[in-house]
Amino acid sequence: MAPLFTRRATTRFRVSLALLVMGAAAVAALVFVWSRSDAAWRVGAPAPQPIPFQHSLHAGALGVECRFCHATVERAADAGMPSTGTCLTCHSQIWTGASVLEPLRTAAALGLPVVWSSTHRLPSHVYFHHGAHVAKGIGCATCHGPVETMAETAKAETLSMGWCLGCHRDAHPAGMARADTASAAVPGRLPAPTQPLSPLADCNTCHR
Amino acid sequence: MTADSAVQPGARQVADRALARGYGAAWLAALAVSGALIGLLVWTLGAAWIRGVGVWGVNIPFVWGFDLINYAWWIGVANGASLFAAILVLRRHDLRTAVNRFAEATALMAVVCAGLFPIIHLGRPWLFYWVFPYPATTELWPQFRSTLTWDFWAISTHALVTSLLWYVGLIPDLATLRDRAPTRWRAQVYGLLALGWRFSLRHWAYHQVAYRIVAVLVLPLILVMQSTVAFEFASTLVPGWHDTRLPLHFVTSGLAQGLATVLFVAALLRRTLRLERIIDDADMNLLGRLVLAASLAAGYLFLDEALSTWLSDPVRQRAGLERFTGTYAPFAILAFLLAVLVPQILWWRAARLGFWGPVLVGLSVNAAVWCDRFSLLIGGLQRGHLPSLGGTYAPTLTEAGLLLGTLGLFAALMLLFARFVPVVALYEVRHDEHQERT
Repeated sequence: MAPLFTRRATTRFRVSLALLVMGAAAVAALVFVWSRSDAAWRVGAPAPQPIPFQHSLHAGALGVECRFCHATVERAADAGMPSTGTCLTCHSQIWTGASVLEPLRTAAALGLPVVWSSTHRLPSHVYFHHGAHVAKGIGCATCHGPVETMAETAKAETLSMGWCLGCHRDAHPAGMARADTASAAVPGRLPAPTQPLSPLADCNTCHR
Repeated sequence: MTADSAVQPGARQVADRALARGYGAAWLAALAVSGALIGLLVWTLGAAWIRGVGVWGVNIPFVWGFDLINYAWWIGVANGASLFAAILVLRRHDLRTAVNRFAEATALMAVVCAGLFPIIHLGRPWLFYWVFPYPATTELWPQFRSTLTWDFWAISTHALVTSLLWYVGLIPDLATLRDRAPTRWRAQVYGLLALGWRFSLRHWAYHQVAYRIVAVLVLPLILVMQSTVAFEFASTLVPGWHDTRLPLHFVTSGLAQGLATVLFVAALLRRTLRLERIIDDADMNLLGRLVLAASLAAGYLFLDEALSTWLSDPVRQRAGLERFTGTYAPFAILAFLLAVLVPQILWWRAARLGFWGPVLVGLSVNAAVWCDRFSLLIGGLQRGHLPSLGGTYAPTLTEAGLLLGTLGLFAALMLLFARFVPVVALYEVRHDEHQERT
């Protein structure tokens, strides 16, 4: 009777066991790296917009202040998107015939907002308040990056929970001043807090 | 010495059973029934998965229902059977020849059933890996003080050591099946699983060491893990759960339950596979006495429950009284009757050696421990502290499906085990038969 296994079967068996272990380790390493990559969090990936709006032109070259359009950022949870009327403050006078602004004029005629695509999605189980952060001296650029240089708006940070905790676990004033360079240019910015903050890393600070 | 020449009549009978072409209509019918129950399990698990735990009858104050009752119950079978098997291996007791293989299998299959419950009862079972401490992007570790993480460690450790104990004991027998397999592909499958076993003395020496090391591992781990299950209740502040005696209660009643299950499986295998020569009268006799002793110990713990209720503070007393006199009192009373009184038939030798005695006791002790877990989880909770909490608990059909379904899963796994691997250790049988001849 022929032998059940070939002479090299044992070697093959051992090699495949080793490959299995190494494969599992490689998959784990891959998942570890990928889950932290910008691609996994869509960092730097702009969303298709109805109008090719350029922050680099408005906030950068023209120097329009962030709060001019995102008006509720200091008071409300939501920073607020500009209404059609806000856009028309200027665009009723300039670029009135530009074809790229056609969606704006349509929206204005119908009394509807322009349907922008979101690049920063907040999960429904997270409570985030823009006003609270601005009041404690966190500037826009800390989380949103150098928006005034972006031709196409995209996420600058992962906004993962680990990224949030990076500040929430180390929220001393110096840390925030270091992390925040652009906010110094924002007029009306509050002085950095000198008192110890509330336990920011508690679960129910963000998950209520 | 080849395995073939060493196979003795008894061992050959067992080996041929595993290699037989067909296994009879009864086996197929049993597999079909348990397969249908597995279908039911998939349905009920799917309902809890898709619709959420709202399909169960649980609600405040009955936060845990059939999910945890069945979990504590199955893990009890696994713990008792593992503990028993490991002690037999360590003591090199003669009884191990007859019972160790299927006792280990019983433990393993029960762990599989138990392992389902902690996952499905999470509510979001697809996120079960959150209890595992891996480097998450949330930069949070699991809450190590949470019983959910304890469950994870208890179940995974349990599955690991129990399957190791079963598999390490099985390796030489897989080699025997490899050498006796009628077809080449079956020989190759058994050969692959036998990991190149060649019956050399060196192999046997290593095997003995490995088997005993795993058995030594099982001993403390079983006690720790069964206590972990008990601590899940004891670490809460619920009157009647918040008790230091609970781990002992779980270990002792779990041992009775595991032994009774082994006795039940022994009687079934002995009858259906005609193994009277191998699982002989002396084995059944000893096993029956062990079950009797374990049930008496469980009875002692039940009485201790009553005593500690009587001696404790008024809140605990009220919860205890509720268990024995409230809506769910029948469960507490049934637990005592079925676990302690029914096994008393084992005082009679005829009952120990027969078929129906062990079957009756096996079913009865298991039902008793289930009633005890029900009474513990549900019975003491009825007296809420708010008027709005006056409701009672009743399982929904979906929950009943979980119990029936895991029974089907257990039965199917045991049927497949009895079909494809030797139900007793061939090498131990060969050893015994060799000793008898010389």
